[in-house]
Amino acid sequence: MMYIHQSACISAQHSFGSADLNKLVPSNQNKMLAIEPSYPQIPPAMLRRMGKAVRMGTGAALTLLPEGGWDGIVIGTANGGMEDCIKFLNQIVEYKEGLLTPGNFVQSTANAIASQIGLQTANRKYNVTHVHRGLAFENALLDTDMFISENPSKTYLVGSVDEISSFNYNIDFLDGWFRKSPASNAQLYIGSEEGTLAGEGASMFNVSGLRQNALASIQRIGTIHGEDPELGKKLFESVISELSVSADETIDLMLSGENGDSRLSRYYEACESLLPDSVTIARFKHMFGEIPTATGIAVWLATQIISSGEIPVHMIKKQTSKKPIRNILIYNNHKGVQHSCILVSAVSG
Amino acid sequence: MPRIFVTGMGIISAIGNSVSENRTALSEEKCGIGPLGAFPSAYAGKLPCGEVRLSSDFLRSKLNVSESGVTRTTLLALHAFNECVDNADLNPDLLSAPDTAFVNATTVGGMCLTDELYHDANSTDEGSPYLPSYDCGSIALMIGQRYKMKGIINTINTACSSSANAIMYGARLIRHGYAKRAIVGGTDSLAKYTINGFNALHILSRQICAPFDKNRNGLNLGEGSAFLVLEEESEVSGKHVYAELVGYGNANDAFHPSSISDAGEGPFLAMSKALHTANLEPGQINYINAHGTGTENNDETESRAMIRLFNAPPPFSSTKSFTGHTLGAAGAVEAAYTVMNLKYQEAYPSLHFTEPIESTGLKPVTTYSKMKMSYAMSNAFGFGGNCTSLIFSKA
Repeated sequence: MMYIHQSACISAQHSFGSADLNKLVPSNQNKMLAIEPSYPQIPPAMLRRMGKAVRMGTGAALTLLPEGGWDGIVIGTANGGMEDCIKFLNQIVEYKEGLLTPGNFVQSTANAIASQIGLQTANRKYNVTHVHRGLAFENALLDTDMFISENPSKTYLVGSVDEISSFNYNIDFLDGWFRKSPASNAQLYIGSEEGTLAGEGASMFNVSGLRQNALASIQRIGTIHGEDPELGKKLFESVISELSVSADETIDLMLSGENGDSRLSRYYEACESLLPDSVTIARFKHMFGEIPTATGIAVWLATQIISSGEIPVHMIKKQTSKKPIRNILIYNNHKGVQHSCILVSAVSG
Repeated sequence: MPRIFVTGMGIISAIGNSVSENRTALSEEKCGIGPLGAFPSAYAGKLPCGEVRLSSDFLRSKLNVSESGVTRTTLLALHAFNECVDNADLNPDLLSAPDTAFVNATTVGGMCLTDELYHDANSTDEGSPYLPSYDCGSIALMIGQRYKMKGIINTINTACSSSANAIMYGARLIRHGYAKRAIVGGTDSLAKYTINGFNALHILSRQICAPFDKNRNGLNLGEGSAFLVLEEESEVSGKHVYAELVGYGNANDAFHPSSISDAGEGPFLAMSKALHTANLEPGQINYINAHGTGTENNDETESRAMIRLFNAPPPFSSTKSFTGHTLGAAGAVEAAYTVMNLKYQEAYPSLHFTEPIESTGLKPVTTYSKMKMSYAMSNAFGFGGNCTSLIFSKA
């Protein structure tokens, strides 16, 4: 079992430092841009050279640095530093493959975030970057979970990072994944339209196998690929029944990755249909936008809800009186193919 | 912990389109590096590169790929993937079984289509058919969907050590009970993007690369793909087994974004950790397929790390002198060669070597020879200080 001991999140909401999620920060031109802190932990000369993904990832991670450092750094990012990638690409084309500066090239590799965290903290331990699009963060979690089962007393850094860059925004826009007409995040789930809002952000967690003083636990990470909604539904069902069999507990809250894209509603409806009336359903993509590694931020959000016992009103899709919230099941579907379930639970008692 | 065996392999590289073609070229000391051919780049006809001899159109038709938006990186992967699953007799039912994992690795992904990407990233009108195919995940997603795979699917990018980490991750999924078998490896194709990137870093050689040579002056880029089928002990009875995967180690050099520390700290730690997981002493390693890119920095620091760990390092070579540096595929291509070293009890040479590096005096194996070996190591190091070593044992 993996326990979350500390967490940090940079997102389009006031999530960094002392979080305030009750007042919804509005979207801007169909984007949910991250509210970035001033990054006091990063030397200014270095900060200027960093692209946004590296900056957000490193900045969030450094606030969690434990005494003695991490025993491994495991990052999930679909695209890494894609703004740098496009800058270098533009150089290639505009200078006709002439003499180019390599800075953007080096920062454009997806592993630049994990390696920059390693470099900044002189960490020579396990260091890996998972890039499997909508399941990059889930694979990072699973990777970390395997290490923890071998070394429960050690502390690992696991996290998610993705930025809005001209690369992913323009390409995903042309491919039909973002709204064509102006949309407001407060109205994201109203009506029946294709596409959603773009988002970005970073989530970071110190995790170990030690239960004492933990903020929450991650009991299950499940993934599956395929267009059939039954696949996600079966996965969802299996997590619920395992929880009932192993711990005689039930799901109190479903955190739904619904994003206002009418083509994806059926995936979420299939899972919701399994829930008894007593389960609250809440959504989060109107807060953060769609991010391939959105589930990293959802895990952070689940940890916040478990700690505070409160769910911001604007998140609620179906309210019930069930309290306290002990077991939160996140279901997410990325582009109709990549399904994931992550079960985050309270540690008390 | 279950033991893990290699039951199938597939390779496509500049020296051949199958495992047997690659073995023939390695045994006959035939280098696959030559001037960059019909490639849309200012460097065509000039820079030496390790190109796969099959055109993307030929691959598309050979592999029955009729869907649009499939990139060369994916085609190379599919070619090697098909060979390795045939080789291991994984039928469609096993391929789609929930306990069959698939772990790909790539650095360039669909960005091999540099010009299309430039258009799609900057255009406001119609996109190209490649819109869903640029990211690293697109390759495993395409292959996974083609074979209706229902086990864990993942993609790793740790620059030039990517596919060594894919092998390590697949092995760990098996050890932890998340899979009974895993198809693991990587793919990368030549791209204007990477050619210009490495060129801007001044580490591309204008000549054919000479790993571990005193006068080496850089690497040659290559392209290719390799996959291995890893299976847990209980699944391999009666099957042909190539080798056993006994150790893996991953460490970060934490020194510089694009070069390795003078003492080769990351390489030293990766090799040490691999020995530790294999429960072996340095003296038990009989052979090393070195990372050996041919750059000043890599070969000297890797040599120092080998001397520090082994004192007198075992016979070693760099097969990048045949294939060029296949980036995200290199870890898997070279792991497959390491498995062949053990299976056929033979050493493949490092080509183009004449004089050792003064400060280390290390000489790689320079001719093909039969060699008795029980344990062999494969090294892969990448930008960002990402270092990984694998150890295989004779089955």
